[in-house]
Amino acid sequence: MINEKNLRQQFQEIIEKHKGILFKVAHIYCRDDEDRQDLIQEIKIQIWRSLHKYNDKYKMTTWLYRISLNVAISFYRKNAGKKANTIPLDEQISRISEVDNSYKEHQLQLLDQFINELNDFDKALMLLYLEEKSHAEIADILGISVSNVSTKAGRIKNKLKKRFSNES
Amino acid sequence: MNENTLKDLWKSYNEKLELSLSYGRKNAEDITQMKVQNFISSMKPVKIFTILVGLLWVGILGTAVTNLFIHAFSEANHFFLFSAAIQVTLTAIALVIYIYQLVLIYQVDISEPILETQEKLIKLKSSSLLVARILLLQLPVWTTFYWNDSMLANGNIFLLITQGKVTLTFTFVAVWLFFNIKIENKDKKWFRFLFGASEWQPVISSMNLINQMGEFKNG
Repeated sequence: MINEKNLRQQFQEIIEKHKGILFKVAHIYCRDDEDRQDLIQEIKIQIWRSLHKYNDKYKMTTWLYRISLNVAISFYRKNAGKKANTIPLDEQISRISEVDNSYKEHQLQLLDQFINELNDFDKALMLLYLEEKSHAEIADILGISVSNVSTKAGRIKNKLKKRFSNES
Repeated sequence: MNENTLKDLWKSYNEKLELSLSYGRKNAEDITQMKVQNFISSMKPVKIFTILVGLLWVGILGTAVTNLFIHAFSEANHFFLFSAAIQVTLTAIALVIYIYQLVLIYQVDISEPILETQEKLIKLKSSSLLVARILLLQLPVWTTFYWNDSMLANGNIFLLITQGKVTLTFTFVAVWLFFNIKIENKDKKWFRFLFGASEWQPVISSMNLINQMGEFKNG
């Protein structure tokens, strides 16, 4: 009973402290607000389901990214073709950037568009790269070698540079 | 654009989007009250319904057929009896495989690295095709259960030939589908047609992820 209570408290603290991870993953994988809410909910359920198995040899953020990205990729596939891309990009961006100047707005739009065009695994890599995770941690989360992470991150950066230089 | 500018852009992007998204439907406390830590309660209602219908069908038909075999074999219509026995056996096998797959999917540790976990999930989801292959094998017996001795002895020859052709066609189609429904054929038109329904989308989408995964793994 005490364990159960501790687990509940631990879960609530984790969610409160790391909700940003859930939000960012949902944002990258779902274009639709409704889907995002559902995905965040599903990630929370899976975290709760897995909490008793948490192994502290992993960093909490590594563990949370693994769960969140695994759920997101499965969830995204499940919903692909149903509601994907139901909100046009510019509509979504304009909703959040009313007060921004047009240059920044344009940059944000380009970044959003770029991420949206990536495949499921590159999206995960891009997110971890933007979140300034080390190559070793990215490798640990994704399950690929550190050198593979470096190669892929380099490629994505080049693509990104090209995109921004073409459009600016 | 340099790396730092990009990361600053990302930060401001997230701050603004965070404001636009109300946080979750249920709060963390509600989730801890949900019974998600056992297999049955984690299942979607439609899956529970499918399993219940399957169990009912196999239970009722299985009992009836077994009783006929034991107590009324000589009087019973053998065409019906063997057709029903094949049907119920194949349904039972498919049901067991379906439940076993659901248990395995439930047991996948979602906190393992992404590629490893997704690979396991794809393999398990794709193996749902085996359930479809087994269920389709019963096609021919739906064309034989109403046969009887008198029909064969006194029936119109034209109707009997037509009946034979229908059964042979169903048998050919069932066997052909059994051997050809596989991941390698996922892009064929007939496959897309057969598995175009929305309930198959998660399986088809999982299969599409295989190519992405291969590219990602190999750099």
